[in-house]
Amino acid sequence: MSYKPDEALLMAYLYGELQGEQKQKVEEYLANNAQAAAELESLQFVRKAFTHIEDKEVIAPPIVLESSNTRALWKTHYGRMILAIAASFTLLILVGKFTGMNIRFENQVSTIGFGQEKNTSLNQSAEQPSLSATDVQQMIDVSLEKNNLAWQANLAETQNQVDAVVRKNLVSYSNQQFDALVKKVSVASDEQIRQFALSLQADNARMIKDYLTLNSGDQRKYMEELLVDFAKYLEQQHRNDLQVMQARINTLEQNSNVFQYETEQILTSIISSVDNSSGLVTKN
Amino acid sequence: MHAKKIQDEAMMHSDSLIERARSGDRIAQGKLVQLWYKRIYNYCYKFFLDHDLAMEASQKTFISMCRNIEALQDVMRFKSWLYKIAVNCCREEARRTKGARAVSLDQVINLDSEESPHWEKTVRKQEDPEKQFQQQELSDMLQQCLMELSNEQREVVIMKEFEGLKFREIAEALNLSENTVKSRMYYGLDALKRILEKRNITKETISYEL
Repeated sequence: MSYKPDEALLMAYLYGELQGEQKQKVEEYLANNAQAAAELESLQFVRKAFTHIEDKEVIAPPIVLESSNTRALWKTHYGRMILAIAASFTLLILVGKFTGMNIRFENQVSTIGFGQEKNTSLNQSAEQPSLSATDVQQMIDVSLEKNNLAWQANLAETQNQVDAVVRKNLVSYSNQQFDALVKKVSVASDEQIRQFALSLQADNARMIKDYLTLNSGDQRKYMEELLVDFAKYLEQQHRNDLQVMQARINTLEQNSNVFQYETEQILTSIISSVDNSSGLVTKN
Repeated sequence: MHAKKIQDEAMMHSDSLIERARSGDRIAQGKLVQLWYKRIYNYCYKFFLDHDLAMEASQKTFISMCRNIEALQDVMRFKSWLYKIAVNCCREEARRTKGARAVSLDQVINLDSEESPHWEKTVRKQEDPEKQFQQQELSDMLQQCLMELSNEQREVVIMKEFEGLKFREIAEALNLSENTVKSRMYYGLDALKRILEKRNITKETISYEL
């Protein structure tokens, strides 16, 4: 029976935000505890009293916002990040400037240093005579000139050699030899043409003859075969006719035989009947 | 009365309006301002008991609402979110004016004197002017009682008693636990009770007044 709701529970109960078992418990507690109930009642009165405060009537003024609702670049997250990186770089460069910092990557060697660099390799190279641009140009010019001269000499030599060979050849083949050669060639060609034409004619004649003989032989053979076949056919026809006639004769013979047999029978029957009748007559 | 009911209904079912306002629809934002301005103004007025400061804080609240509504996560928490802004604006305004010693003209000019602008205000016509006057007087007196509370208690009492927020919503708006809010409410009501007693406002006097 030592249940005592705290202020929070009492408030929730007072404003109807308490439900179920808790509400029941508070109600029971208030029913059993007159002092607490009176206190709550007084708070309820306060609430009631303040319902007399009326709402003020007001007209909403127009709320004007600037048209662009976009945030400035430096206010965005990325903008700030970029600015921070840029500021860091600037700081680094400034620090580098004042402290004489030197960061370098050269000939596969990275160097970080402060102040003036002591470089021995630089002094060594300074001792050697250096080549100026004009010296290099001169050297290039000289070598080019040498090259040109050598090429020219080479060209002139080959030209001379070719000329000599051509001249020699021209001398060895004179004009007369040329004419003879040409005539020979032309005669040879005439003879060749004639021979070719003759051989062509002979070939043609032989071919036509062969064709004709072959053709007539074949034809004769065919005709002979045709005649033989026809004779055979006629013979067969004769034989068939004879067979048919034979069959006809046989049937005629058979028929006459049958007729004969029948007449004989009839005659015998007539004779017998006649005999019977005559016999009767004689009896009578 | 009927119009008020309609407005309450509209406020209850303004989810789609909030959604549209959240997606940057200026018209929807304007409608939200129209819908909620009276409530926020009255919260601010009860907090300051000063029309100018209340207007200032309300306007700042709605400017902030329009600017930040796109970041609102949950439409269902719009109410507590809006009151959170209002609470912050009121606190900021109170801080700002603390050292300024600005006094409302309403307090400087004698309201009953003939040259007072108070007479020019349009007052709702009622059947019984005497009753209306008494009601106004009581209302003003109770408002002054409210002003005697500490800021923390006043915030909770106004939000609960006049704005009808749930304890959960008040806790969200003030960034407090629900139990803290409830106990502030309890001590606030208790303090008000004593203030009323001190001013001799009891059941009887109130019923006599009205």
